[in-house]
Amino acid sequence: MAWTRSRRRWAWGLALALMLASLALVVFLTAERRYEPAPLGTPVNVRLEDFKVQRDMAVVPAGNVSFRILNQGPTTHEVIVVRTDRAPDKLPLQRDGLTVDEEARGVELLDEVGGLDIDDRHTLVLRMAPGNYVLYCNFEGHYLGGMYAALTVR
Amino acid sequence: MRRSPSAEAGAASATQRTAAGRRSGIGRLVPRRPILGDLRLGRRLGWVIPVLIVLVTAIVVYNARAISQQRGSALVVSVAARQRALVERYTKDVLLVVDGFQADPEESAEDVREPVDVLLDGGSVRAPGGGGARVEIPPARDWRVRRKLEQDRHLIDELIRTGDRLLDGGRADPRYAAELTRLRVLSAQLSSVSNDAAQEITQQTEASISRLVRIEIALALLSALAALALGLLLRRAGAEQAAQFRSLVNNSSDLITVLAPDGTITYQSPSVERMLGRRAADLDGTALGDLVHPDDRHEVNIALTKLAEVPGATASFGCRLQHEDGSWRHVESVCTNLADDPRVHGLVLNIRDVTEQAALRKSIGELYHDLARRSQGLVDRQLELIEELERDEADPDRLEELVRIDHLATRMRRNAENLIVLSGVEQHRRWSEPVPLRDVVEAALAELKEYSRVHVAPIDDLRLSGQAASDVAHLLAELIENATSFSPPATKVQISGDPAGTGYVLEIEDRGIGMSDAELIEANRRLAAPLAADIAVSRMMGFHVVGRLASRYGIKVQLRHSWYGGVAALVLLPAVLLPSAGERPAVAPPMSAGGAVLPDPLLPAEIAAPDWQQRAYLPLRRHATPTPDRGEGSR
Repeated sequence: MAWTRSRRRWAWGLALALMLASLALVVFLTAERRYEPAPLGTPVNVRLEDFKVQRDMAVVPAGNVSFRILNQGPTTHEVIVVRTDRAPDKLPLQRDGLTVDEEARGVELLDEVGGLDIDDRHTLVLRMAPGNYVLYCNFEGHYLGGMYAALTVR
Repeated sequence: MRRSPSAEAGAASATQRTAAGRRSGIGRLVPRRPILGDLRLGRRLGWVIPVLIVLVTAIVVYNARAISQQRGSALVVSVAARQRALVERYTKDVLLVVDGFQADPEESAEDVREPVDVLLDGGSVRAPGGGGARVEIPPARDWRVRRKLEQDRHLIDELIRTGDRLLDGGRADPRYAAELTRLRVLSAQLSSVSNDAAQEITQQTEASISRLVRIEIALALLSALAALALGLLLRRAGAEQAAQFRSLVNNSSDLITVLAPDGTITYQSPSVERMLGRRAADLDGTALGDLVHPDDRHEVNIALTKLAEVPGATASFGCRLQHEDGSWRHVESVCTNLADDPRVHGLVLNIRDVTEQAALRKSIGELYHDLARRSQGLVDRQLELIEELERDEADPDRLEELVRIDHLATRMRRNAENLIVLSGVEQHRRWSEPVPLRDVVEAALAELKEYSRVHVAPIDDLRLSGQAASDVAHLLAELIENATSFSPPATKVQISGDPAGTGYVLEIEDRGIGMSDAELIEANRRLAAPLAADIAVSRMMGFHVVGRLASRYGIKVQLRHSWYGGVAALVLLPAVLLPSAGERPAVAPPMSAGGAVLPDPLLPAEIAAPDWQQRAYLPLRRHATPTPDRGEGSR
C-alpha cells in the first residue's frame, strides 16, 4: 500500500505522541506519590515544630484514635506515644541526660513515627484504652527543649 | 546512433541485472520506509545530526553538572557534619572557663558561627581536612536546607548567649544549674539540627543526582534512537548513492575499466556489452592488450607504462579495440593512475567510442582530398597553358600580365596542396633521389610571387632526402610567404642556413610587423601540435600546414622575435633527412613534434599512415618577374 502524504504526517504525529506519552509515563512512575488513608477513629491533629508538640484535643474517647501528624519543622522530628502516669515533663531520662528512657518502669511504649521531615504528614492509628499518655520527640535535646504533649483517653 | 542486436541485448541484460541488484542487494536489506519517504534523505540527515549533537551535548553537560554537584555536596556535608564537633568544643570551653581552666570560648564561638554562615550565604570556609586551606562553598538554594540552617544559626546564637551568661555569672550564679542544663540541651539540639541539615543536604544531593541520572538515561535513549535513525539514514543514503553510481556506470555510453599494474582488467563496467559486444565478467582477468589493434598495441603499452610510473598522473591516448564480431572500434581513452588509492589500486580508464567521429573525419578528409586533387589538376593544366603562352609571348607588358596570372595560379595550387595536407592524405609528387637543399629552397621561392624580396645567403652544399623534398619545399614556401606578406614591400626577407648538432637549421627572418608574445606562443603551439581540421585551422592554415608537414619528418619549426623587429622562423631539418652523397636515406617514421610515435588517433590508419613508397617528383618552376601583390598568410 502506497503511503500518501497525509498518512505519513499522521504516522509522524503518532510517533511523536507515543514518544511524549512514554516520557510522561516515566515521569509519573518515578515521581514521589503521597496519599493519606481515610482516618479511622477519633481524629487528633498533631502539629510538630521546633521544639513543641501541639494537638487540637487533650482528651479523647477510648477506642481508635487517628493521630494526623504534620511536622512544620524546620527540623526533622519523631513522635513517640507512651502510656504513663508520670507528668509529661518528668519522664525518666537515659544516662546521657538528654533523651527519654522508653524502657523505664512506668513508661509503656505504644507506637512511634520516625523521620518526619519538614512538611511531612503521617497518620498514626492506635487503639487506646483509657489512661494518660504523652506524645514527645526523643531526638537529643528535643524533649528537654519542651517537645512533648499530654493526652488523656477516657 | 544505431545499435547492434547484441548491444541491445547487452543493454537489456544490464538493466535486468541492475533491477535484480536493487531487489537482492543492499536495497533489500534496507527496505524503503514510507514513513520517512516524504522527506529527502539530505533533509532528514540535516535534522537528525543536529538533534544527535544537541542530545550528546546535553548528556555531557548534565554529566558534568552531576559530577560537580556531587563533589560540592560532599564538601557541604563535611562542613555541616563538623558543626557538631565545633558546638561540643564551644560547650566544653565554656565549662572549662567556668571551672577555672584555660580556654578560649570566644574563638570557639566564632568557629561555630562561621560554617553555618557560609553554608547559608556562601563563601570560603576552612577545609574539613584541615591544614589551613579554605574552600569555596556556594549558598544553599533548597528551601528545606535553608530553613534548617536558619534554625541552626538561631540555636547557635541562643547557645552563645547562654554561654555568655554562664561565663558572666559563674558557679555562684543562682541560675547556674538551669543555665548549664540549658547549655547542654541547646548543644544537643544543635547537634540534632546540624545532623538533620547534613542529612537533608545529602538527600537533596542524592535526589538531584538521581534526577540527573534519570534525565541522562532518557537523553541516552533518545540519543541511541537518533543514532539509530542516523545510521539507517546514512546506510540508506549510501545504498542510494551506490545504486545511483551503479546505474550511471551501467547506463553510461563510456567504458570504465580498471587495470592492474600488469595490464590485466580487474574491473570492467557493464557498458562494454554495448560498445564491444562482450560480457564484463568475461573480461575480468584478461589483458587489455588482447583487445587492442596490433598496430596500436605498442603505442598503448608505451602510454600505460609511462603513466604507471607516476601515481596520480593522467594521460590520454587513442586506439582501436576489437568488437566481439571482429570489427574494430576507434576509442579515445583518458587514463588516471590511481594505484596509490587503496579503494582502486590500479589504472582507471575512461574509454569513449569515437568510431563514428573517425569515420566522419575520414570521409571529410577524403572529400578535402578529392576536391583539392581536382582543383590541383585544373590548376596544373592552367599553369601549363600559361607557360606555353609565356614562351610564345614577345610583348613585355603582356608577358608581365601572364606572369602575374602564373603566380596567382601557383598560389591556388599551393592552397589545393594545403587542403590535401590537412586532409591527411599524402601527395604523390616525390623524388626518389636526394635533392640539393639549395634547389629545395629555390623551389619554395618559385612558389612565391615576391621571391625577388628574398635574399638567400649561401647555404651549405647538402642534399635533402628526395622523399621529403617536396613537403619541405612546401613548408618553406609557407613560411617564406608568411614573411613576405607580413613585412613592408621595401624590406628584404633573409634566408640563411647553419649546421646544428642534430641536423641543419634554415632561418627565415623578416623585418615586418612582428608578433606579440602571446601570438608567438600560440603559433608555436600550433606548429608543435597541429590539430585535426576544424574552424581554427582555417584561421591559421599556414601554421597548421607547416606543423603537419613538419610532424611527418620530425622537423622542428619554431618562431621567435627577430632583432630587426619582425619574426624569425627556425626550421631544424633532422640529420636523418640529410644523407651523405650517394647514400640513400633511411625512411623516417612519422613523428610528433615531441619525438613520440603518434599517429593521428582520430584518423583511420590507412589515412594517417603515409605511403612512403609512392612518391612523385615536385616540378621545380621559377619565374623571372616579381609582382608586388600581398598574399594570404597566417599572421
